[in-house]
Amino acid sequence: MWIIFRREVGQYFASPVAYLIAAGFLVLTALIFNNDLTVSATVKPASPSVVPAFLSFALVFFAPLLTMRMLAEESREGTLELLLTAPVTDSAIVLGKFLGAWFYYTMLLALTLVYQVILVSVTQPDLGHAISAYIGIWLYGGATIAVGLLFSALTENQVIAAFLATAALLILWLGGLAGQIVANLDLARMLYTLTLQGHFTSSFAVGLLRVEDAAYYAGMMAIMLFITIRIVESHRWRG
Amino acid sequence: MIEVRNLTKRFGSHTAVDDLSFDAQPGEIVGILGPNGAGKTTTMRMLTGFMPPTSGTAKIAGFDVFNDSLEVRARVGYLPEQVPVYPDMTVRGYVTFWAELRGVRKPHARVDEVIERVQLTDRRNSLIRNLSKGMRQRLGLAQAIVHDPQVIILDEPTIGIDPQQVIEVRETVRQFRTKHTVLFSTHILSEAEQICDRVLIIHQGRIVAEGAPATLRQQLQPGAHLYVLIGGADEAQARNLLEHIPGVQSVQAQGEGFTIRTQPDVDIRAEVSESVMRAGFALLELRPVAMTLEDIFLDIVGRKT
Repeated sequence: MWIIFRREVGQYFASPVAYLIAAGFLVLTALIFNNDLTVSATVKPASPSVVPAFLSFALVFFAPLLTMRMLAEESREGTLELLLTAPVTDSAIVLGKFLGAWFYYTMLLALTLVYQVILVSVTQPDLGHAISAYIGIWLYGGATIAVGLLFSALTENQVIAAFLATAALLILWLGGLAGQIVANLDLARMLYTLTLQGHFTSSFAVGLLRVEDAAYYAGMMAIMLFITIRIVESHRWRG
Repeated sequence: MIEVRNLTKRFGSHTAVDDLSFDAQPGEIVGILGPNGAGKTTTMRMLTGFMPPTSGTAKIAGFDVFNDSLEVRARVGYLPEQVPVYPDMTVRGYVTFWAELRGVRKPHARVDEVIERVQLTDRRNSLIRNLSKGMRQRLGLAQAIVHDPQVIILDEPTIGIDPQQVIEVRETVRQFRTKHTVLFSTHILSEAEQICDRVLIIHQGRIVAEGAPATLRQQLQPGAHLYVLIGGADEAQARNLLEHIPGVQSVQAQGEGFTIRTQPDVDIRAEVSESVMRAGFALLELRPVAMTLEDIFLDIVGRKT
C-alpha cells in the first residue's frame, strides 16, 4: 500500500499540472483571506475559519481534479490489469491511492496555515476556533476525495470521472438548500444532516468539535472507499 | 511448474476456455497458439490471478491461482497484450515501482541489471511517453522479469512492432529459458515454431493439438506429401498415371506439377519414378513436401469446424 501511496504522491510532484493546481489553490484562498482581512479591519472581528469555510465550497470542484486521474488512467492504460496481478490486495491499491491524494491535499492545506500565522501577528484570533475549522476541513477534504476516487474507478475517461464527481459532490453540498424549501421541519433537518455542509458549516466552522460530525466524514470515507474497492474488484469478473 | 486441470471460464453463456489441461516444466518455453478469440488471453488471465476460473484448477509452483492468489502473483511475471505503462514515469522509475510492489529488496541494482538486459540503459532516464513502441514492449518485458519470477507469462509480445524489434523481443524471450518457465501466446505460427519447446494449439477454448513443433508436424501430418513434376505428359495423362500408383491417396494439381498424398510411413518414391519412366515420360522433379505449422493449423481448425 505504501509503495502505491509513494507513487501517487510522487506523481503529483512530478507533474506540472499538480503545481498549477496548488498555485491556483493558494491564489484563491489568499484572495479570500485578504478580502476578509480588509473587511475585518473596520466592520467585524477577523474570523479564523474564513479559509476553511471557502474550501468547503471549493472542494466540490477541487477534489475531483485531484482524483480524476487515479483509477481512470490505470484502467485506460491497462496498468490496472498489471496491478491486479501484482502481489497486493485490491484494497491496498485503493487505499494507497486515496491516502496519496489526501496527503497531497493535506500539504496544500498546511500551506494555508500561513494565513493563521498572519492573523496571529495582527490580531488575537480564537485559536481553538481555528484548530476546529482546520480539523473539520481536513476530514471534509478526505470525504470529498473518497467520492472523487469512486467516480474515477467507474470510468476510463478522466473528464467524465471529474464531471460525475463534481455533480455528486454538488448534490451532497446543495442538499442543505433543499432543506430550506421543505415545510416539514424534521425532514428539513434530516436532509441537512445528510449533506456535506450540514456537518461543517454549523459545527467545525464555528469552533464546535463534535464526534458525530467527525463520524459523518469518516463514515463517508469508509463507505466510498468500500464501494471503490468493490468496483476495482469487479474488473476481475468482467469479460 | 504450471499445472492446469480442467480449467474452464464462462462469460454468461459464452465459454471462453473449455476444460483445458496442460503442464509446463521448469525451463520450458510453452507456446499457446490460436486464432484471435481462441481463449489465449483468458487462459493467461486466470493463470496470473487476474480473474478466477469458473471451474477447474490451475497451480503455479504448487500454489492454487484462486486460493493462494497472492503467492502465485509474487511468482509470476506478466506482460499483457496491451503494454501497460505510465507515460509520465521514467524508465527507471517504472521498473523500480514494479520491483518494489513485487517485494524486491534493495531494488536498484536489480533494476539496472534488468534495464541492461532489455537494452534500455541509454534511455533509463527518459519519460516513457517518449519511447517507441518496440522500446515500450521491451520495457514491458523488464517489469515482467524484474522480480525474477519462476513463471513468465507473455500475451502476444511481438504484436504491432516492426520486424527488427520482433527479432529482438524473441531473442530476449529465448534467453529467459535458462531460469524461468515461459508461457507465450501468439497467433503467428512460425514464431511459435522458432521459440517454443512445446506448442498448444487452442481453438474455441479447447486444446486441439499439443507437442513439440517438430513432433506436432509429424503426428498431424495425415500422411506424407510428395511434389511431382512430370515432363512430356499433359495434365490428364499425368494425373491418371499418378492416381494408379499403389499407395497414393490423393492427387492435387499444384503449379505445373502435382502434390500427392500417400499413406504415412510408406515411402513410394521408387514406385513413382518407376511408373513415370515406364509410361515413357520424364520425371523432372520429385521431392517430399514438409507441412508447416500453418498448414497443420488450418487443417485442424478446418476439420473441427
